Amino acid sequence: MRRRAFLQVGAAGGATLLFSSGATGTAHAATRRRAYVLVVDGCKPGEITTALTPHLAGLRSDGTDFPRARSLPVMETIPNHVMMMTGVRPDRSGVPANSVYDRGEQAVRDLDRPDDLRFPTLLERMRPHGLTTGTVLSKEYLYGIFGTRATHRWEPAPVVPVSGHAPDQFTMDAAIAMVRELDPHLVFVNLGDCDRVGHSDLTGTTLQAARTAALVSVDQQVARFVSMLKDTGRWQDAVVVVLADHSMDWSLPHRVVSLAPALDADPLLAGNVQIADNGGADLLYWTGAAEERDAAVARMRAVVAGVEGVLSSHEPAALRLGPEAGDLVVYCEAGWRFSDPEVYANPIPGNHGHPATRPIPFFVSGGHRVVRRGVSSTAVARTMDVAPTVGAFFGLGEPRGGYDGRSRLG
Amino acid sequence: MTPPDLDRRSLLTGAAGAAGAAAVTLTAGDAHAAPPYFQHGVASGDPHPRSVVLWTRVTPTAAATPGSGRGPRVGVRWQVATDRRFRRVVSSGTTTTGPGRDHTVKVEAGGLSPATRYFYRFLYDGVAGPTGRTRTAPAAGSSPDRLRFGVVSCANLQAGWFSAYRHLADRDDLDAVIHLGDYLYEYAPGEYGYGRSNVNVRPHEPPREMVALADYRQRHAQYKRDPDLQRLHARVPFVVTWDDHEVANDQWRAGAENHQPDEGDYLARRAAAHRAYDEWMPVRLGGTADVGDGTRLYRRLRFGTLAELSMLDLRSYRDQQAAQPAPPVPSTDGGVSDPARTVTGDAQMAWLKESLASDRAQWKLVGNPVMIAPVVFPPLPAELSRGVNDVTGLLPEDGLPYNVDQWDGYTADRREVFRFLADNGITDTVFLTGDIHSGWACDLPLDAGTYPLSPSVATEFVGTSVTSNNLKDITGSPPRTTSIGVETAIKTANRHVKYLNFDDHGYAVLDVTGARTQMDYYVIGDRADRNAGSTWTASWATDATTQKVRPVDGPVA
Repeated sequence: MRRRAFLQVGAAGGATLLFSSGATGTAHAATRRRAYVLVVDGCKPGEITTALTPHLAGLRSDGTDFPRARSLPVMETIPNHVMMMTGVRPDRSGVPANSVYDRGEQAVRDLDRPDDLRFPTLLERMRPHGLTTGTVLSKEYLYGIFGTRATHRWEPAPVVPVSGHAPDQFTMDAAIAMVRELDPHLVFVNLGDCDRVGHSDLTGTTLQAARTAALVSVDQQVARFVSMLKDTGRWQDAVVVVLADHSMDWSLPHRVVSLAPALDADPLLAGNVQIADNGGADLLYWTGAAEERDAAVARMRAVVAGVEGVLSSHEPAALRLGPEAGDLVVYCEAGWRFSDPEVYANPIPGNHGHPATRPIPFFVSGGHRVVRRGVSSTAVARTMDVAPTVGAFFGLGEPRGGYDGRSRLG
Repeated sequence: MTPPDLDRRSLLTGAAGAAGAAAVTLTAGDAHAAPPYFQHGVASGDPHPRSVVLWTRVTPTAAATPGSGRGPRVGVRWQVATDRRFRRVVSSGTTTTGPGRDHTVKVEAGGLSPATRYFYRFLYDGVAGPTGRTRTAPAAGSSPDRLRFGVVSCANLQAGWFSAYRHLADRDDLDAVIHLGDYLYEYAPGEYGYGRSNVNVRPHEPPREMVALADYRQRHAQYKRDPDLQRLHARVPFVVTWDDHEVANDQWRAGAENHQPDEGDYLARRAAAHRAYDEWMPVRLGGTADVGDGTRLYRRLRFGTLAELSMLDLRSYRDQQAAQPAPPVPSTDGGVSDPARTVTGDAQMAWLKESLASDRAQWKLVGNPVMIAPVVFPPLPAELSRGVNDVTGLLPEDGLPYNVDQWDGYTADRREVFRFLADNGITDTVFLTGDIHSGWACDLPLDAGTYPLSPSVATEFVGTSVTSNNLKDITGSPPRTTSIGVETAIKTANRHVKYLNFDDHGYAVLDVTGARTQMDYYVIGDRADRNAGSTWTASWATDATTQKVRPVDGPVA
């Protein structure tokens, strides 16, 4: 077990932040280069405008924008954050969704355990080069899956009970304090407010206003971070990657797809299918006899095709998802959400996981000379391009088997 | 117009005398100085990265007039060069034409380099015709910084002069001209002209409604002799689609408003119109430059990873328009929402979806002959109209449309397209539209009745007519008087309509970059004025990923 230390750091307003740190065991690299990956969770690319989010829009126009950028299946938080840090698809990382059916445990659960992630992340791969890392992740399940991989990590606090995330103000306090006090070469930040107002507002009536407020707020938090980089002389050495893990869609209360009743009505499938609900995507798992699996999947496809609100169904392998994703991935249409196994199980209007939520903001900015300025690229950047981009910046080689993504620096 | 006697000796003498050495050294834009073999100018179209369609018509004898069916079969050479003096010819060939194809010449010049300007010409009997200029598309995998297109539609020769074409030809910055249809009109003199009294600024030839193949050929020939159109064709490749008037007003798959039983079989008429179009237009009809190998007009043109242009045919496969007893009084016919009715046809709808979903390029431009934005009174929220129709089945699902010839008359198809864009998270789709002789900029709402609380899935820029009558011409009112009230009423009821100009004629320039696509609207002076000027009037843009339009202070430089 690695030796770990805890560091208390004073933050704005007199609060105290607690970071846990592991010993690197390697000399600190001499490079002045720093990379900061800021994830505006659930942000839609068109929401970044000069009027509403002037600082984010400014970062975008000063750097290289990728307006065709896309989240990858399943368009959920955990898999896309994992893709950012590994640079590989879920069939190599073992993390295809937020929620899966664990055949061993015979239970549906979140992929929030450190050993759920099977592929080396940048956080470990930078260490032998004397490069330190830090994670400032606002969501408890992200903190969970990345575990102790980073050199320094912040445990989200205070956490909003309904949403399971720390508000952006506290998250950014932690990010700024981490940079000031510990100065990791790479800091990976998740800002959860934009996503969480979509999820938390059960009525939908105040959604628009709450969403706008969250966007304004996250813009101010990013502005604080950039100011800190400039005030502390780090800006000219920094690459700042800003992106979202997925986009966001909203559904009216009655636009709910519940597959369980339809599947249970089929004689072959009844009692032999488990469902992991990922909002805009349902993962179906055949739990019956192995020799009936192919016939069962065919039946699943036929059954779900007749359910209103279902967009399409896919073999997990076709989406580069591994066996953890089960036997069939079902997407809903825009404006709908899944609610399984019960129709009341998912009451929240903000939703993602389905193809409607693929578009994301993605831009590479910062003061370092490697950043191409004022460019709008027609390349299709994806969440899994973050690791190759940061890796290239620090001169890291590719992981075993290579990246699935590619650097967006050049 | 009868060509002069084309005795070869006198031709050579005449050419040399009239234009000096110009017969073989004409520069781009000098189409009007062509020798009599080439009276209809030259044109290029449908640029691909390594090839482009080249077009001309040769008049080998005086008798070989358009539509006459007379004259010999002759061989015509063509050349493509990188220089205007044709010292570096990079592609050339010989082709044959004759009366069976109205002596038109259309070839696909291959072996070219992407994103490159070329000069081209045709030679007959040792005499070179006017020199044209064209430009190939960028390579499929390349990422051009910028694309710029002229956007035009609705050019009624009887209604005035084609000053819009002249002003576009004066520019030197266009990759292509997108023509969205009504390139020519079928009417007889006196039927549809300038203003309320339909004055014929220039009467149509032949002096009757075009119905037979010879009529269509002669009408195409008349338009191709227009000096402004000739000059624009000679300078910029065209990407065209047809709307209704290339055959007859308000055509649908088995008929047209302006086709009567005494005019014969409609499909025979349409076949004649399509044949003449194939002969006379620089377009890959049926997928190739060959004439007579098919009439599929919908096709894609790709401009690197920056844009792909999908040109639609919204006439050949559509069902008949719904009833509208007293247009423009909004139609209450619930048939506009009948899911069995189509404006695209099933095959083209599947093809369009493939265009949108493939994501080969950032901007999915759609050459869209009729307007797709809902224009309805009032827009009905989908949830409401669906509920009402569950009971009555009587209401148009998106509200009462004022023009059932547009996508408003085929709302099931429109919903299918809009839902497809939303369901698949497709961004940066821009519809480019003609048909309605007015300028518009619109968001395209998934549900017009609840917009802007519901999302926009794409944007639409509608360009005004080159000459065809608009609202002020029809009402006979001065500019910016009665139209303002109508424009305001439409924008008030349809909150996704952000810009509307019912009064002007002109053209537009579409500028595409990775960051945004911008439409600059230019208007011309009096259509009856041979030398009408051109002024900028408005610019609207859609920023990447927003699916919304915004005003811009000025046109691109």
